[in-house]
Amino acid sequence: MKKELIAFIDQKLQKYDPVWMAENGVGGQRSRYRDDGTGIARYREWRGVEDTFQDYKAWLKNVGYMGAMVAKDPVKIMKGIWEYRWMGSFLGSFAFVDRIFEGYRGRELDIANIHGNAIVRILTLRIGLILHNDKRLGGGEMTDKMIGLDETIPPLFTAGFPTLNAEPMQTMPEFVVCDVDQHLDPYYIDVAESYGLAPDVCSRCSAETGVAIDDAFPVFGKLVLSTNQPCNASEATSMFQRRRFNSKGIEDYPFVFAMQHNTKNGNDYSKEELRQAIKKIEDVYGVKYDWDALFKAAKNMNHQNQIELEKWELFATPYSPLSGISESLYKLVEWALVNGHDAYFNEVDDKVIEILRQSVRDQYLPYKGKTRHRAFLWGPSAMYYTDFPTWTQNCWGINIVLNMDSTMGHNMIDTEDPEKALEDLAKFSEKGVMRHHAVGGWDNVNAVWEWAAKLNCDMVICNDNVACKGMNGVHALLEEQAAAFGFHFMFLPHDLEDCRTIPRKEIRKAVNDYMSIVMGEEPLDATLVDFDDAEAW
Amino acid sequence: MKKLFSMIIKLIRTAVIAGVVGFVLTFTIYMTNAENKLIYFVVRPFLTKHYDKQARDRRI
Repeated sequence: MKKELIAFIDQKLQKYDPVWMAENGVGGQRSRYRDDGTGIARYREWRGVEDTFQDYKAWLKNVGYMGAMVAKDPVKIMKGIWEYRWMGSFLGSFAFVDRIFEGYRGRELDIANIHGNAIVRILTLRIGLILHNDKRLGGGEMTDKMIGLDETIPPLFTAGFPTLNAEPMQTMPEFVVCDVDQHLDPYYIDVAESYGLAPDVCSRCSAETGVAIDDAFPVFGKLVLSTNQPCNASEATSMFQRRRFNSKGIEDYPFVFAMQHNTKNGNDYSKEELRQAIKKIEDVYGVKYDWDALFKAAKNMNHQNQIELEKWELFATPYSPLSGISESLYKLVEWALVNGHDAYFNEVDDKVIEILRQSVRDQYLPYKGKTRHRAFLWGPSAMYYTDFPTWTQNCWGINIVLNMDSTMGHNMIDTEDPEKALEDLAKFSEKGVMRHHAVGGWDNVNAVWEWAAKLNCDMVICNDNVACKGMNGVHALLEEQAAAFGFHFMFLPHDLEDCRTIPRKEIRKAVNDYMSIVMGEEPLDATLVDFDDAEAW
Repeated sequence: MKKLFSMIIKLIRTAVIAGVVGFVLTFTIYMTNAENKLIYFVVRPFLTKHYDKQARDRRI
């Protein structure tokens, strides 16, 4: 009876479903939006009774997480919103979640919302913790027990300090928030440039520098570990940031990793650096490193990586409902921010891998079987266009099977012998965000073909960060390789965190041109080909 | 006993009414995208004006 009723309602309301509208040539995803560039839909997506209610429940859960964050310390949260421009940008989170999972149905939506809830949960917990202990807002009981980490340092090793709390400095003010609001980082980039910084540098580093100059970092802890990860550009921004940290009475310590991270010498170097960083924290905070606490977190990380390796096997089939931004954003947060510190993410992984295994058993075809191409997305992606993989699937049927950053450190960590664990941790930590396959030699970059072939991709989309001097040198080489191996191949120009240089619309145009002119294909949803979202978050 | 029974009934009725009202309210907000409209068109412009007026110490 229930099934019949749902089928009846679905049939009556299907004319409001954008996927049905696109299939029948009477509209599509953009039909819900005013043509004002704001990206604020007139109403939310109708996905059929079951999927709409599933999405509504996930939305309610996110409201709950945000409500809990405010309820824990309403005064500090309000002060934080009033003090920090980047906190204002986080208010766009609901629209962000809608945008990245647009067009998702069935098991794709189930997994996306499990992941989305986990991401909102951890971000609200961490923002709450940071603001509660921010000296600028009055401080809290953990203020002097916090360690600032450069956001690109994998925090797993800090689990050996269970009485301290390590927080990435830039993740909230500059990095993750750029996913949510494309217009935030240009403000900080302008601050840096008006101070005299050259305008043609990496926009991530420029934005971080702008946050430092604008005095917009939260203030906590006694020590900040700066780094050269992912590349040399970070060394420059670290030099600017240290001035701000020092002016707040926070010492800085450079934690440097080997650039050539595939060599024994490089690994040995990173291992010694890691040992010295641990010693530095012990000295500054007067605590002893607890190997058992590290081993506990390392077991969580190993569990995560074991599941990750199985996921890659399943991604190679056409039956995986996990792909695109649902995969890469979750992986980024789980790897770079959580990094074994929160067992809740292991529960999420266990739940999701079960859905994936079942999907392969059922030979479930995601996206209603509309995928035409399986693509590997290589190179660091545009942070201001997080929903790009969602758009490629909805508009052209290009399923981004995996993203370069999802291949980050996946070696297992020894959980018994401290010396062996240190060695494993060094290898693991070197292969961080935007680093594993972006620096360290040509072989790392050129591994794209092996990955693409292993995952049965017929297409490679290479992100071309126009301000990245390192990757500018490999254009012609990659094009030659693509032709030799027979992959459909396109370069996607972007400016990482500056949406003004190459706006989202220009990124879409690069794909539109390739798909229509080179491939001679028609879009799945004509409303998505050319639209204005310049004023959208 | 009777008093306890009527109290339980009253509690259940209140919970059901609160649940129905809560559902109608939140589902309406969800479907009409009301919270995003409020934040985008009212809250953020107000906050941006405030941020633009802030005097920040840019000496490093």
